[in-house]
Amino acid sequence: MTGEKGGRRTRLRGIPFFLLVATAYTILFFHDRNQALLALHRGGTILVRILPVLVVVILFTGLVNYLLRPGQIVKHLGKGSGLRGWLIALMAGVISHGPMYVWYPMIQDLRSQGTRDGLIVAFLYARAIKVPFLPLMIDYFGLGFTLVLSCYILLGSFIQGWIMELLSEPGRRAG
Amino acid sequence: MQADERRGVDRDNQKPTLVRSLKKSALTFGSMAPMFLGIMGLVGLIQVLVSPRDLAALFRGNPLLDTLTGTVAGAVASGNPVVSYLLGGELQQQGVALYAVTAFILSWVTLGFVHLPVEAAMLGRRFTVYRNVLAFVFTMLIAVATTLTMRFVS
Repeated sequence: MTGEKGGRRTRLRGIPFFLLVATAYTILFFHDRNQALLALHRGGTILVRILPVLVVVILFTGLVNYLLRPGQIVKHLGKGSGLRGWLIALMAGVISHGPMYVWYPMIQDLRSQGTRDGLIVAFLYARAIKVPFLPLMIDYFGLGFTLVLSCYILLGSFIQGWIMELLSEPGRRAG
Repeated sequence: MQADERRGVDRDNQKPTLVRSLKKSALTFGSMAPMFLGIMGLVGLIQVLVSPRDLAALFRGNPLLDTLTGTVAGAVASGNPVVSYLLGGELQQQGVALYAVTAFILSWVTLGFVHLPVEAAMLGRRFTVYRNVLAFVFTMLIAVATTLTMRFVS
């Protein structure tokens, strides 16, 4: 479960959760073999689809750690980052791609280096605007709906982040 | 200096080397492999076990209740946003109100019951609870606001 890497032990996380899902598959397999195989195939398809995104996020996280020191991160995304911090969080949310959970390790890293929780909340909600899929949304629901919804998403992201700031007590990081 | 380089630290400016930063990043993600695999497996299960017809049957025609149902259904279901648009379009064709459809496609990408254990493990329980409660409430508010705005505009 653990490995000695660079003098630090790296522990695999989420093994109970994985075992729980594996158990669900085993039960389904004995109940309905075809459905279990189909679900496995769907899961595998998701894995193949997100692998490139995962590689990009790993590279991005590595680059951020290399290029920015904690002090610089705090300056741009920490206390006192002001309007610039909000704009960075919202823009990053809009342009970020892939499933939300792919971004958790990077967010964890940024939080440990002083990024404000409110900005993270805003980033995660602004991800609801999916730039590559906007033409499809316009095709299904119309241009007006897409524009109105996108504006409300940005506004909602900011308000949620602001509320999160109020909820996060000073000196006591959420979690 | 060479020994420092091997350890991944440039002593001149006490900055980690690029290789070390990338390795650390890869290790962090690698340590999460069981979580990622668990989520993908669970999403596969939900996609197979819950059909669009099952989904449509959840909506009863009450705008407020349907908005709540749309939010919960979108949070339970998960996957590519394109799928949510397809399902949302299908629900709308079956007469489900725009409130509910908007809540559904919005919660699909902003909430995720499937990711909750991972989010809590990575970002902390308190943060996860706050973020998800806020996202849940705002998804419903935005769905209502969007629908009302569309009515007002048209």
